[in-house]
Amino acid sequence: MRLPQYFLFRLLQMIPIALFIVVINFALIHIAPGDVSILLAGEGADPAYMQSVREAYGLDRPLYQQLGAYLGQVLQGDLGLSFRTREPVIDIIAERIPATLLLAGTSLVLASVAGVVIGALVARRPGSAMDTAVTTLSISLFSIPVFWLGLMLILLFAVTLRWLPSSGMMSIAGPREGIGHVLDIARHMVLPVVALSAVWLGQYVRLSRASVSETLAEPYVTTARAIGYPERRVMSRFALRNAMLPIVTVLGLELGMLLSGAVLTETVFSWPGLGRLIYEAILSRDTPVIMGAFLIMSFTVMLAALLTDLLYAALDPRVSL
Amino acid sequence: MTPALNRTIGAVTRSLPGALSLIILAVIIGLAISAPFLPIPDPAAMEFDLYQSPSTDHWLGTDNYGRDIYSRVVWGARVALTVALGAAFLSILLGSALGAVAGYFGGTVDGLLSRVFDIFLLIPTFFLILLIVALFGASLPLTIVAIALTTWPRSARLMRSQVLTLKSRVYVQAALAAGAPQWWVILRHVIPNGIAPIITDGTILMGMAILTEAGLSFLGLGDQNMVSWGSMIFEGQRHLRLAPWMSIAPGVALLLLVASLNLLGDQINFAMNPQLRTRGGAPRKRASVAPPADEPAPSDTTPILEVENLRLEYRTPDRRVTAVDGVSFSLPRGGSLGIVGESGCGKSSLGSALLQTMPNNAEMTAGTIRFDGRAIVLDGKPVVEKGRSRIDQLRWKRLATIFQSAMNALNPVTTVRRQMIDALRLHKPDIKTSEAAARIGEVFDMIGIPRSRMNAYPHQLSGGMRQRAMIALSLILEPDLVIADEPTTALDMLIQDQILGEIADLRARLNLSLILVSHDMGAVAESCDVVAVMYAGRIVEIAPTRAIFDNPAHPYTRTLIGSLPSLTGPLEELKSLPATETAAAAASEGCRFAHACPSATELCRTTPPPVVALSDGHRSECHFARDLAFADTREATG
Repeated sequence: MRLPQYFLFRLLQMIPIALFIVVINFALIHIAPGDVSILLAGEGADPAYMQSVREAYGLDRPLYQQLGAYLGQVLQGDLGLSFRTREPVIDIIAERIPATLLLAGTSLVLASVAGVVIGALVARRPGSAMDTAVTTLSISLFSIPVFWLGLMLILLFAVTLRWLPSSGMMSIAGPREGIGHVLDIARHMVLPVVALSAVWLGQYVRLSRASVSETLAEPYVTTARAIGYPERRVMSRFALRNAMLPIVTVLGLELGMLLSGAVLTETVFSWPGLGRLIYEAILSRDTPVIMGAFLIMSFTVMLAALLTDLLYAALDPRVSL
Repeated sequence: MTPALNRTIGAVTRSLPGALSLIILAVIIGLAISAPFLPIPDPAAMEFDLYQSPSTDHWLGTDNYGRDIYSRVVWGARVALTVALGAAFLSILLGSALGAVAGYFGGTVDGLLSRVFDIFLLIPTFFLILLIVALFGASLPLTIVAIALTTWPRSARLMRSQVLTLKSRVYVQAALAAGAPQWWVILRHVIPNGIAPIITDGTILMGMAILTEAGLSFLGLGDQNMVSWGSMIFEGQRHLRLAPWMSIAPGVALLLLVASLNLLGDQINFAMNPQLRTRGGAPRKRASVAPPADEPAPSDTTPILEVENLRLEYRTPDRRVTAVDGVSFSLPRGGSLGIVGESGCGKSSLGSALLQTMPNNAEMTAGTIRFDGRAIVLDGKPVVEKGRSRIDQLRWKRLATIFQSAMNALNPVTTVRRQMIDALRLHKPDIKTSEAAARIGEVFDMIGIPRSRMNAYPHQLSGGMRQRAMIALSLILEPDLVIADEPTTALDMLIQDQILGEIADLRARLNLSLILVSHDMGAVAESCDVVAVMYAGRIVEIAPTRAIFDNPAHPYTRTLIGSLPSLTGPLEELKSLPATETAAAAASEGCRFAHACPSATELCRTTPPPVVALSDGHRSECHFARDLAFADTREATG
């Protein structure tokens, strides 16, 4: 199989999973206490709107037809309207995605690169005092509740030292274009990125340490040393290259966990992304937005798993396409 | 309590992180249990002392309602621990049950359940829990159930793989054969034996559950009737400027509890698999020595390799094992030596010492190795000349190795051709691309690999071809000496024969010297002029190949050849000795083979045997070497 075909094949495999997620969503609204139409339209919605929601979701018809109607809606990208703003949920979510991508993407790159390097360095001396110290420290790092770390950073750097802004993505009266705008956003990003990447860093250090020390014990590494490669090259060409495979896999699988960290971080720093949106939705009991966010997060994680598979296939010649 | 459990607990409590996390856990659990009896204010009691900073009255200060924060942190521990235990218990219960069913029944059941596990692993659990709690209303029991319902596939997958390995075990098969019902076998034999790694994972699960509950509470989805650390931080953030202590204390408590759970899980894992901690690593720096001042220039008659009294030890924190115990031999240029013995006899350790590729926990403690007359190891220490160790100057250009290639001896992510080019370029940086290509083609032809297979990855080659690729790689720089460690072990007999034939042929054509390490007397006989038999770290007999087959002068050699004429009674089968017993044998007072030797006498058990020189190049370490050699000769002539 060639790569595009493989991609298509894997994409098809995702369909039942996507369906399963939509069905969970559907089941949850129906099992949840309270009238489904109120959950979907919001308390105190005007009767005309309530009626239009009933019709759109077929709430007067039998359950299986309702499921069909719901699936149809989701397939068309219709996730309903927000209670608060009466805008389509999908638009509200789409609007928030760039900010989340910027925050989570930056933190992910920082944490994974630094984590892999530190983990690989520690793996060179397994069992040393340095190894124990770094391992203990990285376990402590990912044991920190990320939202609390965010608050502590705000307390220190924004409230006490007044070095950096504590919330939002840009200053109210700041420049809106050019290098000034970029620098303004960068200043606002520092604290949330530090909080998020610190917690993720712990994960990657551990992952990379385990993976690299495993490959360093492989026979082909001994071969490389017998051939006479300098240790630096043994590490980069043989150990790290092979250790990347499990690292990439876990990276893809744990994206869901990473996203939950992003949501909490955004809440602390009032970062105008998806996480902040979910928080606002919870406060105003805006069920369609919460459901929509769950669906979008699930699909993102699925997509990430798919991309991981492809990356793995590209990295490892043993994967037969 | 089983010894394994005792050992694990011992190892955990002895390590600093393990002990520390156990102490923190004990304190938190102690406070949580005794909260109602402690002389602390009611966590919900409001006083007029709003926003009091920490003082002797209020150790951790008071909050915006004047409630005592220390008291609230202590009561919050109850919630955190309830979440941890409740969620982990439910999750493990559900996961183990489904995992055991999937693993035990296999087939369609397994296929379906595994698919469900996979799907669940792709669902972002935190968001699902959040959705459930948002829809059904925030309450602690619901949160616990939601966490369990979304995390069970972790334990399910662990249990499934445990059961898959366990169900083939003898006691499970025996119980089934005895007619026990399947559900009983699962409950009685399979689950209890598979639960250890799941319990370890349970500590991680508890940490995740606590952080999840805290996260939910921080988003305003906490149980309003309980004091949770997450909701304390949720309230604290609004008063961050005025009363930072409101947020600091519960966060520190969360961090301490979750970190000690994670550290504990980590330590248990290390204690159960100690090799995780020390395996691998970069080669450590070893003490080295300068080359001897008076080294005669090598002549034509200088042996290519001389080994004198080489010793190698493995060191673990609690003991030392001598794997190579005073080995000496000399290999003439163009000669070939086979080193034979059962696994654990030290033959591969000897090979790694010659190449200086031994693992970090191994140490050469004595002995000299000379390559072409120049010392590369003196008194067990590598010889360094002008800042570069001598072995590094020899690597691959003069001294190459063939590893058992079925065991991943070639880099799995690089093509065979690439690996050859890299090795060539490493030692001949100026070589032209065309020259390199020509040389690789030449070696491939010589070794019998079709040139069309050059660009294959190792996994795309058959076992025999892969082994040939390894041989080709070793010959690429025309070395003087090749050390082959079990080069044909994983191959089938026919291919083994072919490859051994090719090695012997190449050796003659290229005037190579060869050391062949093997457990197979036949393999060695075919390709070597001299055979050394190793037992428990020593060469117990060494002789030209003909002599060792015609006049084996050590009982162990005879068992290897499979022609042991017992002098005292009927033929006895030789037990294969596990490595620990071999080590014990090495430590014994008398002859190290005495405990397994069918003709051992009192003398053998008390006095180490002398080295008996029998004929030219034939030595044996046996009190009765002459009798044995003589017995055979008499039989042969009589």
